[in-house]
Amino acid sequence: MRYDYAALVQDGRVHGSLYVDPGVFHEEMERIFRRGWVFVGHESELPAPGDWVTRRVGLQPYLLTRDLDGGLHLLANRCAHRGTALCREERGNARHFQCIFHGWTFGLDGTLLGVTYPGGLERSKEALALDRAGQIDTYRGFIFANPAGGAGPLAEHLGPGGRYLIDRMCNLAPSGRIRLGPNWIGQRVDSNWKLWPESDNDGYHLNFLHVSLFRANRESQYNETMLAGETGHSSKAVDHGRGHFELDLKDSYPHELAWCNATPERLPDYRRAMVAAHGEARAHQLLLDGPPHGMIFPNLFLGEINVAMVEPIAPGVCAQYHTAMQLEGAGEAVNRRLLRLSEAAMGPASFLLADDAAAAERQQYGFGASRADLSDGGAAHTWVDLSRGQRREQVAADGVRVSLLSDETTNRGFWRHYRSVMEAGA
Amino acid sequence: MSGAKQGSQVGQAPPPAAVQVSETLRRELEAFLFLEARLADESRYAEWEALVTDDMHYWVPRGPADHDPAERLAYINDNRARLATRIRQLSTGHRWAQTPPSPMRRILGNIEVLEARDEAGPYTVAANFVLFEVAAQSTGELRTWPGRATYRLRRSDGRLRMAQKIVELVTSQLPQSSMAFLL
Ligand code: FES
Ligand SMILES: [Fe+2]
Repeated sequence: MRYDYAALVQDGRVHGSLYVDPGVFHEEMERIFRRGWVFVGHESELPAPGDWVTRRVGLQPYLLTRDLDGGLHLLANRCAHRGTALCREERGNARHFQCIFHGWTFGLDGTLLGVTYPGGLERSKEALALDRAGQIDTYRGFIFANPAGGAGPLAEHLGPGGRYLIDRMCNLAPSGRIRLGPNWIGQRVDSNWKLWPESDNDGYHLNFLHVSLFRANRESQYNETMLAGETGHSSKAVDHGRGHFELDLKDSYPHELAWCNATPERLPDYRRAMVAAHGEARAHQLLLDGPPHGMIFPNLFLGEINVAMVEPIAPGVCAQYHTAMQLEGAGEAVNRRLLRLSEAAMGPASFLLADDAAAAERQQYGFGASRADLSDGGAAHTWVDLSRGQRREQVAADGVRVSLLSDETTNRGFWRHYRSVMEAGA
Repeated sequence: MSGAKQGSQVGQAPPPAAVQVSETLRRELEAFLFLEARLADESRYAEWEALVTDDMHYWVPRGPADHDPAERLAYINDNRARLATRIRQLSTGHRWAQTPPSPMRRILGNIEVLEARDEAGPYTVAANFVLFEVAAQSTGELRTWPGRATYRLRRSDGRLRMAQKIVELVTSQLPQSSMAFLL
């Protein structure tokens, strides 16, 4: 069937079938995860020549590799002979990959290097290289790939909004570079993947879904945001366009380092390193503003001190992997602290995300078997309402939309871009 | 939340072989494990918390517990203060990941006493377990959690208390469903 995305994704509401329909899901894997730019990893995961990690992009298994000249490649983790997965470990270092089935070997750039008994080979080695992402590029250490190629430059995909979100995180490192934490933690959720970009950047639910944490722990970095009423606080929902959006919490922080629930007195070495790198005035501003809380379409969540990626698995199943940002040149004290904060906030047993997962699974349960068929006009109860604050949102000259933290501006930003991508791909 | 600092009891590999203890002591240690399991199964948070020491460390690593927990990210890595927050959060009645609480039962087996400095303790005890959970608050489906738990127990005021619990899930390398209950 052909999906009418303009009808299914309206300005203040989207149809429930978009979260459950297998046909929609498969079109997303093609149009968003194969033909578009997707976050696939970070340079700090592959520091040395020969380093590799396994990834899934859309439903496809990949190897993200660094070759001996330092170049990055996203290769299908699927032997070009008969499809056998080359690596089942999470990461490693290699000069080449050898398939366990008939022993073909491939280079770090996917070139077919050798086959067992080459005399019988009927095709050229060039034709039997590993499938390779058409485009791969980085921005300040964040690696993005476009499997199909032809998505245009990464800079265009990121736009000023995407770059701003990444800059805001990287600028917190005295060297201007972040590393990812030592490992990812995966959270499986029985919900559609799109509920994560939604929920991770929904400012409306904080005071309700997460009320148990604020009752249990009155000294959190979210105090102003939580305790003030809807209009009494200074955080904002911002849609930068191109599917990138954020909850901008910076004006809610009362002092430097409040975003990691610390004070400058507790982390003097970090502050000193920031002043040495940036000068007093700029260091002060950076330490006050803290990291971003935002999404880069379709799968990268910069969640304050966390870096997370969303992985679709099936229409009703996904995983979100997170790790902590580590600030190069900031010292052990702050980086250890970030690991502990990340454990508290993110993941299946954490104080926050466990509750978001419960909400997402209940949404998925609520969607039931909604079908993407609007011939009956689309029964009222199958729509998801995302209209909150639509009329009070401010649109700037550059198209950036700003509204109250509790307005669904971020969610509408996701869906507006989603609709344009899904329609363009038809 | 403040950064959790860990005590010196973590990261030590338990001795490989079980040690001999008296039948009375073995029964006492096993009874403690069964009580702890039952209170966790029944989401009796306050009674469960009364079993732990003031320096309790509760650790659910990703992968085997063969490293210093301070150096990596874990599913759970609670010092006593953070564990208290966890219990307070569960006790609010608004911890939606456990409201309503999951019906649960776990089976312990292969119980071994790995360390008993003397009959008075402290002790290291390990057991395999399988936990059956119905995610009643979300999907309504059965979830199965197999693993191994290692407990460090000691006496205070003559009663056994838990100073550390390490839970190594068989599936720990995979993305995990919500585990907001007491594992
Ligand atoms: S399938 Fe890989 S060598 Fe045959
Ligand atoms: Fe949330």
